[in-house]
Amino acid sequence: MKLTRRGTLSGMAATAAVLAAPMRVRAATGEINVMLFAQPYTQGLRNIAADFEKETGIRANVDVVGQDVFESRINLTFTGGTGEVDVVHVPAIQAQKWREASWIRPVDDYLDALTSRSDLLKGPMDSYLVAGQQWGVPFAAGVGMMAYRKDLLDRVGSGAPDTWADMLAVAKQIHSDDVAAVALRAAPGQGFNMFIFPMFMRAYGGKFFADYVGGDLTPAVNSPENLEALKIYIDLLNNYGPQGVGTFNFPEITASMQNGQVAMTIEGSGVVSLIIDPATSKYADQMGIAVPPGGPAGRSPAIAVHGMGIPASSRNPDGAARFISWATSTETVRKIALNEPFIDFVNGSLARDKDLVTKYGNIQPDLLNVRVAALEQTIGHYRPLLPNWDEIGAAIGENVNGALNGLYSPEDALEAAQDEMEMLASF
Amino acid sequence: MTTKAAGRASAESTRAYRNMLLPALIAVTAFGIVPLMGMFALSLTDYNLIKGSSGHFGLDNFFRLWQDRRFVNSVYVLAALSLLGVAFQVVLGTAVAVGLQKIVPKWKFARSLFLAPYAVPHIAVALVWLSIFTPTLSPINAFFDLFGITVPTMLTSQNGAIAAIVIADTWATYPFVMLLILAALNGISDDLDEASALDGASRIQSFFYITLPLLFPALLMVTLFRFIDTLKHFPLIFVMTKGGPGRSTQATNFYGYVQTFQNSNVSYGAAIAVFLFVFAAIVSFYVARLNVRLTNG
Repeated sequence: MKLTRRGTLSGMAATAAVLAAPMRVRAATGEINVMLFAQPYTQGLRNIAADFEKETGIRANVDVVGQDVFESRINLTFTGGTGEVDVVHVPAIQAQKWREASWIRPVDDYLDALTSRSDLLKGPMDSYLVAGQQWGVPFAAGVGMMAYRKDLLDRVGSGAPDTWADMLAVAKQIHSDDVAAVALRAAPGQGFNMFIFPMFMRAYGGKFFADYVGGDLTPAVNSPENLEALKIYIDLLNNYGPQGVGTFNFPEITASMQNGQVAMTIEGSGVVSLIIDPATSKYADQMGIAVPPGGPAGRSPAIAVHGMGIPASSRNPDGAARFISWATSTETVRKIALNEPFIDFVNGSLARDKDLVTKYGNIQPDLLNVRVAALEQTIGHYRPLLPNWDEIGAAIGENVNGALNGLYSPEDALEAAQDEMEMLASF
Repeated sequence: MTTKAAGRASAESTRAYRNMLLPALIAVTAFGIVPLMGMFALSLTDYNLIKGSSGHFGLDNFFRLWQDRRFVNSVYVLAALSLLGVAFQVVLGTAVAVGLQKIVPKWKFARSLFLAPYAVPHIAVALVWLSIFTPTLSPINAFFDLFGITVPTMLTSQNGAIAAIVIADTWATYPFVMLLILAALNGISDDLDEASALDGASRIQSFFYITLPLLFPALLMVTLFRFIDTLKHFPLIFVMTKGGPGRSTQATNFYGYVQTFQNSNVSYGAAIAVFLFVFAAIVSFYVARLNVRLTNG
């Protein structure tokens, strides 16, 4: 191929045009970039994003990526301060960290203009209230729920276990080579096994810190209560879990429940809705649901609130606020809940919406009621809302996973976690 | 041509070669050296994604490396993954290359077949092997279950998880070794095999005493390439084990990621990256020197 000057110049011009394209697009007024990670709600939102443009004339480029990719990309986007993102997915657990790093801006000025502010539940809303300011608006609250095979539990004369000790007793009776009694998240990580393990801790009176609410953040993870909780968690999974459960995360749990390989699990409500859905589960007609078990100190279902915020570097915060208002409006959320398998909404009136009650009632009559019952028993600081929780949660989760897989004893695992928390506190 | 004219031509030629090198030098400087210097500078600070920097500048992060049990553990994990992985890949890749060249030279399609895993992205490789090693999803487990045989779970023990990553890595990258060794084998004349056969050597003797020594420079280089590549172990760990069970598969590169993105300790993560770079550079330098010595006899 012969290279001519004109050809070369044309090529360079084309390359420059391609490289400049994102900047040109971004520079246009009436356009916002939205970055979210994949969940039923966010995927549903992307599918109807054109409605926002029709209503407001603002084009929303909604980018939905995997959570792992999201976290790396958002770190780079925020630290680069590029201003490329106008609306960002803010898990409540990250809000404090991002606030302290000045990556997101308060949204107080926009709250009055929220289309459905009065319909948003107070608890999830308050998850974003830090130092007297609001740092995001919630769109979903995943809550811990139990899914279990009614047929197998009926056979031993049991209903849904009320406590972890009851669960262990039932597990002993129903565990077999064909169907394992229980599977729970075990993979190490603050969003993985540390979504589940605190339910055990709190049921036995365990804590992360001496007095988190009172402000005493002395690490207290090596307490006898936490040790008892860890032992029962290990006992359940190692003796009555499926083979290889020591690395399980929610995808493996979902698949094994849907295929009838496991009889009981505690999962986020979004995952539970997939486990009991006849469209995705072979044993849907045998599934029962309940609030998660508790213990001597009560019950504390896991909770994970997700919302949207506005990056400090956004070039179009007003457009971003309009998008958040539209995306969290009861009308939009209702549409998504009808289109997708999405029950984690935080718009209170939707729990009574006739169409939604019919849709999810067909999957499981009690689904919405059990979710609300679990939600009412949650505490906002189920996982401590601290800027460095990622690091602390991972440290505890890795040690818990090590104990589960026999690398260390439960006592050593909690002592190691305690040491690491103390070290992190000293930095 | 006069001596003066010849000298002028030679100088022009040298200048032309230098000019031709210029784009490459600019690219290497812009995309290699400058980021590397930036990373080194970052490793000397105390920059944290959340807290920012106090302005302190020094070697503290490098001193911290040796007191950090998790870092030391990560080096052991990396050593196990790299040494085992490279050993299996070189042996398997060489065996397949020799088989394709010497035993079934006419099976050209087989080369494409054996090459296929190399074209699969590492994340996809990790997902495939994760499902194979997850007992409730694994077709292998399902097959043996039919006969009442329980296949041991690999990902829940330290040795098993390391073996699982090595197996997945070997499957994905032995074709690279195979390709280079095939190219090297093409450069060895068949006459040598024929001559040794005439002298009464068996095919195995011919391979070990003639082919293998001639392959040695290629084997050395391919081992080096693979070794440096294994220092970057990440996708397989990230998808298959997330560094677990516990922290038993957190190799150094993965640990650098954890420190940077999970723990926000960017400067410490940069120090880990600098450590890996310097280590890879030293290994490359000595192996390259050894290769020159061997090539020159």
